Amino acid sequence: MVRIYVIDNGGQWTHREWRTLRDLDVDTEIVPNTTPFQDLQDEEINGLVLSGGAPRIALDSNLGNCAEYLEKAEFPVLGICAGHQFMAKFFGGWAEPSKIPEFGKVELTLLKEGDILFDGVPKKSIVWESHNDEVTILPKLFDRLAESENCKIQAMRHKNKPFYGLQFHPEVEHTQHGEQIFKNFVKMCEK
Amino acid sequence: MFDAKKFIDKTVAKLKEDVPGKALIAFSGGVDSTVSALLVNRAIENQLIAVNVDTGYMRKNEPDNVKKMMKELGLNFRFVDASKEFYRELKGVEDPEKKRKIIGEKFIRIFEKVAEEEQIKYLVQGTIAPDWIESGGGLRDNIKSHHNVGGLPKTMTLKLIEPLRDLYKDEVRKVARELKLNVSERQPFPGPGLAIRIIGEATPERTEIVREACDIVEKEIERAVEKGLMERPWQYFAVLMPVKTVGVHGDKRAYGNTIAIRAVQSVDAMTCHYSTIPHEVIDTISTKITNNLKEKINRIVYDVTNKPPGTVEWE
Repeated sequence: MVRIYVIDNGGQWTHREWRTLRDLDVDTEIVPNTTPFQDLQDEEINGLVLSGGAPRIALDSNLGNCAEYLEKAEFPVLGICAGHQFMAKFFGGWAEPSKIPEFGKVELTLLKEGDILFDGVPKKSIVWESHNDEVTILPKLFDRLAESENCKIQAMRHKNKPFYGLQFHPEVEHTQHGEQIFKNFVKMCEK
Repeated sequence: MFDAKKFIDKTVAKLKEDVPGKALIAFSGGVDSTVSALLVNRAIENQLIAVNVDTGYMRKNEPDNVKKMMKELGLNFRFVDASKEFYRELKGVEDPEKKRKIIGEKFIRIFEKVAEEEQIKYLVQGTIAPDWIESGGGLRDNIKSHHNVGGLPKTMTLKLIEPLRDLYKDEVRKVARELKLNVSERQPFPGPGLAIRIIGEATPERTEIVREACDIVEKEIERAVEKGLMERPWQYFAVLMPVKTVGVHGDKRAYGNTIAIRAVQSVDAMTCHYSTIPHEVIDTISTKITNNLKEKINRIVYDVTNKPPGTVEWE
């Protein structure tokens, strides 16, 4: 059984991430973002989800121990919303308050075909959003994978590591292909 | 995938360990508290007492329906009419968080009183995941204090038992179906009741208005669903807005309040989109509410907000 933990950054949908993974028969737990990396390694996890949360990444520089996870992880990491913004800043990009924040229903457009995280997801689909901040400068080592009308960096991927960041929320029911995205992530963690 | 049967077996076994004696359940007659009641009752072999409180902010005929239901389920029950006390405590209160906290505390004090009389130490609640998530705490922001979590007083003597804490409504419904409960498909109704469907002070007079309007919305939407005119919404109700507008009633000027109709589709209450109600149904609701409530209500609006950015209830 693949083991993927959810790092709780205080999001409204952290528990939904846990539920989505559990429904995919993943061995999963929600752990606080103050958990030392060594503890995660001792649990022999195969992947990590960095949840969203109320902290404003554009305004604060810290997000619990998320920096340590990104520094040391050799397994796949999926950053969602605040987790995604933190990932961008950690690798030298930037996040700022959105000129037009997005709440609720938004159309997502994939920019690159064939990325394994979006396997089976059509070029255009409906996703659900809830963010005040967004990634405004893509880190050098990342590729941009998706955009929406008002947010250019909806998804990004590290060029050399299995690290992904998503501004939208694949874990909620209203995101059309959210479960597929999680399935793809789980597959990545199984390898 | 979530397995309701396994959940029941596991939970009953755990409850047998966690609840060594008599317990009391905060029983509203909704799907969460009914499922919790049955699980605990099974675990402690009928030593459960279900307490239903009439807060005065109940839907039309709700107290009678719940009493009937408690009898049908074979529960030991107590019914407490505390409507006057609730109205008194909420006099002059307009802030939604204050309303929720006052109601949450009042509930607990009533349960504590019954618990003392019955020598009970355990309070069972039908708390589900969105209740504690939205109530916040630690890193998580407070969106609204659900009466059974964020509305709890800081000091209380009873030990809390919440068997459904990690479940969402769709999963609770699965458990309810497995237990063959009629209540399984019932629409959610918030603990603070109609008090949070009245924007501003929840006086008895304003409660009567929103109670009547909610009843009309429920009946007309249920009729439309039965006729196949629309999909059954997740939740559907009326909200009383303290906004007065001008109208005309029988050649005379009218100046009354506004009712908003709210209906949403959801699976787990964590995200929602507003329901598409056919115009003919909205039309009937609009005419019925304004005609029945006459000088009190002369304008109806429909809420077209998704969650996020809105929440299901307005407060």
